[in-house]
Amino acid sequence: MIITILSVLLIGAGTVFFLGAAVGLVRFPDFYTRTHAAGKGDTLSSLLVILGYCVYQLKDFESFGESWPILLVILKLLGISVFILITSPTSTHALMDAGWEDKVEPTIQEGHPNHLNDDSGKF
Amino acid sequence: MLSKVFATLAVVITGSILLYGVTDFPAFGDPKSPASAGVPGSESVSQYFITESYGDTKVPNLVTSVLADYRGYDTMFETVVIFAAGMAIFAILRVVGDEKDSRKKRVEENTFTNGDHSRIIVGTTCRIVVPVIQLFALYVIAHGHHSPGGGFQGGVILGASFIILALSDHLNAALRRFSEKSYTIIAVVGILIYAAFGVVAQLLGANFLDYGVLQPLLFTDGPEMARSHSMLGVEIGVAFTVTAIMFAIYANLSTRGLLRNGL
Amino acid sequence: MILAFDIVILVFLVIAAIISLSVKDLLSASMIYGIYGFLICLLWAEMGAVDVAFTEASVGAGISTVLLVATVFNTKRKSSD
Repeated sequence: MIITILSVLLIGAGTVFFLGAAVGLVRFPDFYTRTHAAGKGDTLSSLLVILGYCVYQLKDFESFGESWPILLVILKLLGISVFILITSPTSTHALMDAGWEDKVEPTIQEGHPNHLNDDSGKF
Repeated sequence: MLSKVFATLAVVITGSILLYGVTDFPAFGDPKSPASAGVPGSESVSQYFITESYGDTKVPNLVTSVLADYRGYDTMFETVVIFAAGMAIFAILRVVGDEKDSRKKRVEENTFTNGDHSRIIVGTTCRIVVPVIQLFALYVIAHGHHSPGGGFQGGVILGASFIILALSDHLNAALRRFSEKSYTIIAVVGILIYAAFGVVAQLLGANFLDYGVLQPLLFTDGPEMARSHSMLGVEIGVAFTVTAIMFAIYANLSTRGLLRNGL
Repeated sequence: MILAFDIVILVFLVIAAIISLSVKDLLSASMIYGIYGFLICLLWAEMGAVDVAFTEASVGAGISTVLLVATVFNTKRKSSD
């Protein structure tokens, strides 16, 4: 029972972060902030949802001798989460980098200290 | 404009004919449909596959046993089709030697090992991820008759790992590991492995691709295990061809056949 | 086979197909074609055809998107019709 509640909480938190990512994708003003919202929200929420699945798998766990297939499933799920943890931020970075090379303009207010001058398009 | 009207008309007519045909289909998973139950007087093929394929071939995944054994011809010529597609792209796109037109514009080789730091994050991640992907691809190929997967899927994943290397670093980094010469040879060798199983079966007096007679060559207990092992060999042949052709198609498409200055 | 899940996937499938046919930017079209591949992979996995879903995920959504993007990169990006 407590395991079910814990997994529901984790998966629910994951979906909340997914919602945040989706809202950020629609509401943010320019390419970079949108990609940032999508990348961060996606990574965290996928990890939370997979963690919720892991916890849910423990529902039928009795002993190490008998329920080792459950541990195998959890190991695979953890492998997927490590893969997401490595690749998802990298793909976000690659997307941002490609946008920067393609000279996509960020939206920054006039007079802000981070505002780019005309010739500062390169690092 | 007129062509668009005709195209729309053709699509609508074909679609409505297809939709009309769908109404005669049995429901999804209907046990009384002819495909599942057979017509009166003869046993259905799928019933035979479902009940007998494990006893015939000792392969738990009956999709693989149908694909690589009962329908061996089909899979072999599917592989030939992929090979032909790769060779067609090679024949259309590949440019050999120095050409004089505007394509000659050479870009310096910007790899992160050459000091282009903007690629260092992507390159390092791909160096971590690519071995895992290749290991998974080999697992998919070798475990194809016990779990979902097989030669096509594993070959595509293995080819994709080389494509990731080419995308993250540079095409030359992938070509150094999997050169044009080697991928052409491997593509041919894959089909030859597949055909060799058939020809050897013929030489031993059975039909083409009838793996059961390969038992004395494979040192197995019975013809069933011989069929299982032959399926593994056949899958490896398919994986060879698919890996090589996928990478060949990418390398030729992304460089307009020059095999340098990739994406 | 869950009917509600099926209907949701099929609706998204039709939307993705129509958008990928109608959008002018070929890069977006190939990306949405990748989404179409993933949706049809989901549909097959949910119907129990795991082998086909696996093939679709690797070939339809993975490799063919990369090949389409590589082709778009080397030709022009806007569709003419």
